[in-house]
Amino acid sequence: MNQLEKEEYLREYALLKAKGKPFFPYAIAKDSAMAVITLIVIILMSLILGAELGPKADPTTTTYVPRPEWYFFFLFEVLRIIKPPEFVPMATIGVPTLCMILLFLLPFYDRSAERRPERRPIATAAGILTIFAMAYLTFLGANAGSPNEIDMAPPADLKGAALTEWNQGRLVVAQSGCLACHQIGENGNHGPGPRLTHIARNLPAAAIAQTLRNPTAPMPSFQRLSDTEPEKFNAMVQFLGSLK
Amino acid sequence: MPRFRLPTPSRPAALQSKAKRPAGANGPSGPVETAAEGGIHVVDWLDERTSLSGGLRWMMFRKVPKGTNWFYTLGSATMFAFLSQAVTGIFLAMYYDPSPTRAYESVRYIVNDAFLGEFVRGMHRWGSSVMVILICLHMARTFFFGAYKYPRELNWVIGVALLILTFAMSFTGYLLPFDQRSYWATIVGVNINGTGPLVGPYLSDFLRAGPEFGATTLSRFYAIHMMLVPGLIAALMGAHLYLVAKLGTTAPPWMRAEREKSLIEDEV
Amino acid sequence: MSDKHKKSSPYTADRGIPGAFEGETVTRRRFMNVTAQGLGGVAVAAFALPALGFALGPVFERTKMQWQDIGPLSDFNEDEYIPKVFTIVNGIGTAGETTAYVRLRNPEIDTEPEDEYNRVIAISTRCNHLGCPVRFTPAAGRFLCPCHGGVYDFRGLRAGGPPVRPLDRFYTRIEDSRVLVGARYSVNSELKRFSPRDPGQPVDGIGQYLYPARFSTPEK
Repeated sequence: MNQLEKEEYLREYALLKAKGKPFFPYAIAKDSAMAVITLIVIILMSLILGAELGPKADPTTTTYVPRPEWYFFFLFEVLRIIKPPEFVPMATIGVPTLCMILLFLLPFYDRSAERRPERRPIATAAGILTIFAMAYLTFLGANAGSPNEIDMAPPADLKGAALTEWNQGRLVVAQSGCLACHQIGENGNHGPGPRLTHIARNLPAAAIAQTLRNPTAPMPSFQRLSDTEPEKFNAMVQFLGSLK
Repeated sequence: MPRFRLPTPSRPAALQSKAKRPAGANGPSGPVETAAEGGIHVVDWLDERTSLSGGLRWMMFRKVPKGTNWFYTLGSATMFAFLSQAVTGIFLAMYYDPSPTRAYESVRYIVNDAFLGEFVRGMHRWGSSVMVILICLHMARTFFFGAYKYPRELNWVIGVALLILTFAMSFTGYLLPFDQRSYWATIVGVNINGTGPLVGPYLSDFLRAGPEFGATTLSRFYAIHMMLVPGLIAALMGAHLYLVAKLGTTAPPWMRAEREKSLIEDEV
Repeated sequence: MSDKHKKSSPYTADRGIPGAFEGETVTRRRFMNVTAQGLGGVAVAAFALPALGFALGPVFERTKMQWQDIGPLSDFNEDEYIPKVFTIVNGIGTAGETTAYVRLRNPEIDTEPEDEYNRVIAISTRCNHLGCPVRFTPAAGRFLCPCHGGVYDFRGLRAGGPPVRPLDRFYTRIEDSRVLVGARYSVNSELKRFSPRDPGQPVDGIGQYLYPARFSTPEK
């Protein structure tokens, strides 16, 4: 903004202000109404959602699945999707610090005089994009399941014993840590292993069993499981063979 | 059709309302008037010694431009949420014990046994969410209305500092109930600070008060949550409000002042 | 400019300041100015520095390494991990405990040089991405982190996901057929030992200099 634009703005603002109303009681009335609404929302949330306390902190746990408060989900998801170890400091410190600096310095690099959102297409688009990105990351973070659970419905045509075996296979697959490297539907991580959502389209059950016994590195072999607990191994194969 | 109106007959003297008269030379004429006089005296006494009325008048009777709408209440609503957090926080502090062996039990006492305990803790807990939402909406309003531009750049910078402090509040408050979620979120949060090159290892030692989560980690977070950050927030909020009053509330960006003819002629 | 404002001479008399004494170089006003700023600074430092030192103290405090008995040698074998709970911070009850996965050294897979501290291998359950609790999954033979998708192989080396170094280990010792566990140490991808780092701090290559050892490293 140059001196002319600054003076132009101050003059315009002085005129608008002169036409305005006093802060008390006109603006204060709206503010008070909003304060009452805020407090009602807080009280209702407290009454309806309560303040339940989780289990006591236990540093010795190996089964707890930590998840942050909802407003940190976006950061949680950023940490989850930035996979290479070399980029960890970038995800933890780099990106948040950069965002903070960009936010702090906004008035110093956006110096145009225009204030109407529809005439500042870049700023408005960037703002809307940021909101959508945050919302999307929050959504993904909220839906990030445990790596030891698979949440999906069985195929409709499965009945009786086959269904029981399918469910057992689902459990074995989940607890074997497949989701650490593979994705099954909405569950699990993207890579390093291939997606297993439709694995049975490409591989028949026998080939799946063969791969589980003799995988290519770095996937671990399930030979021992097939030797010691064949029924678990078979359930696993049956479950993976149903993913079409 | 012409309408005829009969004059209202005058009421009998006994039913006529008597106009109130200010107290005469012989003092106030009733308890209500005495009380009102007393109040005026107190205010006068205060104002004579503080001259606060000038500042108050400047704050309360400044003009707000035409066209300000409900979006302009988000800032004050955020402040109100902060006040609610401060008050509920003070009452929670009366029962809370920031020691790793007793913190969880003290929160459980608040939730299960203390009168209205669950309600107050619920207000504090959900109030934090509401405050985060409100401050983000307030920032979005400022951004889309271009309200951070000249002459309000400094107020935007203070606002961003307030946003970061609000997140610092929710992060440090997280650990205090000492349940599983609190504990692991804090471990992760401290380690995030630890990934800063060169200073990271010392920074996380400082936050934790030692190489591992220890006896004073909780009280350290408690002190930061209770005093350091709220103090900073209150101070910056004061500066933020002062600047809002000094520079004036922005008008919506689409508002244009109607120029008077004479003024336009003057400009040429 | 008049003579009054001439700054060339150090003597106040030469600068034409009224009431100046012979040989005087500091005016009263200047003296008071320096006094106000100097004493103000000292007053602030007098409470700020001790408070800061007080808050920073724990960063420089060192604890003594302690050895804890986690059971007889016969409890453990070479093929599977046994979780053991022990205390790493004294005096805060269960909040000071941690879990380690313990097995005996297996010369076929453990290629790092053997010494008196690694005949039993005790692997920490803190993920070295950001410190979430990892769990050993026997069927896959992997350690899995539930937070951001870290995966470690049977020896605790990184197999996938964001962890920056292998899982930390604890010093172990065998005494009268009992297994004792000591302080935690970090390892790089060749399993070379480093003083304990926090999660998220690599020790390979330049990492060990970017994330130096802390003052609070336990004494041996």
